[in-house]
Amino acid sequence: MKETSKHIKDWKLADNIKTGFTIPENYFTDIEDDFSSKLIEDKLPKHNGFQITKAYFENVENNIIEKTIHKKGKLINFKTRKIKLISVAASIALLLFFGSNFIYNTNTELSSEEIISWLDMNVNSFSNEDIAFALTEINVNNINPYLVIENEDIVESLLNSNDLDYLIEE
Amino acid sequence: MIDEISLVKELQNVQTKQKAFRVLISEYKERLYWHIRKIVISHDDADDVLQNTFIKVFRGIDHFKHDSKLYSWMYRIATNESITFINKRARDRNIDISEIKQELVTNLQSDAWFSGNDIQIILQEAVARLPNKQQLVFNMKYFDHLKYQEISEILGTSVGGLKASYFQAVKKIENYIKTKHN
Repeated sequence: MKETSKHIKDWKLADNIKTGFTIPENYFTDIEDDFSSKLIEDKLPKHNGFQITKAYFENVENNIIEKTIHKKGKLINFKTRKIKLISVAASIALLLFFGSNFIYNTNTELSSEEIISWLDMNVNSFSNEDIAFALTEINVNNINPYLVIENEDIVESLLNSNDLDYLIEE
Repeated sequence: MIDEISLVKELQNVQTKQKAFRVLISEYKERLYWHIRKIVISHDDADDVLQNTFIKVFRGIDHFKHDSKLYSWMYRIATNESITFINKRARDRNIDISEIKQELVTNLQSDAWFSGNDIQIILQEAVARLPNKQQLVFNMKYFDHLKYQEISEILGTSVGGLKASYFQAVKKIENYIKTKHN
């Protein structure tokens, strides 16, 4: 074993000097583990056995696109700021931060944009139960005064939508 | 191979976003699906998580600043979504995460979308017993054939650390399979 290590060391040194080739750091240390892993891999099945329908990947594309169109409508609500949900968003965001095992620091100040952006990215992670759990009765009472819908187009669009369940579910 | 920088520009432009997003889905849907599926196990759950992943990509692409490759960024979102999904499932049922993982694998035997034989089920059981990081590294290296450098960009772990994780994972899998055979 010592002989082999000495040989490798000498070879590395000589190789460096003569050819200029270098090797990644720890290469000769890691290679033993790599060999062992490969020997074990050879005994393992190459396929995991999971299957899907042939049409799945064709359909999923349209399903996702359809969802982004729905979400786009909702984004406008935030961005036009006609519905003043910022205080509500802040309450939910902070409560959910706390509820989702994030490190909660009472000194942290989040800007409205950060909160909206965070909610925007994470809205699909919340279930109705999460929101219900996060909101106390006091929070719910506080929401009502801010739910001022000023834009008539939004009201009309909401009333004419056949997909109200989808909006409520969200 | 698509030009990532141009695609991101198109995704960040309101005029071209929708069209570019379709290109993005088309390019990455299969790779992301299989990555997710190996974590959440069932097809229906993988479908949900895949769709949520792309929705988050769509919503977050304006904030993408090329700190990493688009591909790594999306893989990261898919990984987070998958793990969050499993954690949430465990929380909802008030059971431990390792328990829910075992349960998911046990269900494979009656899963219409699983055609694996006994050894493939044992392999899945062994993988499900690994800690999250080792599980991810094993799946990405063994099944997805990603290079350590690529996995490093996705998981934010050094190549050396990944090699150690992979070696540990493979040894544990071997031991589990040996135990099952004896």
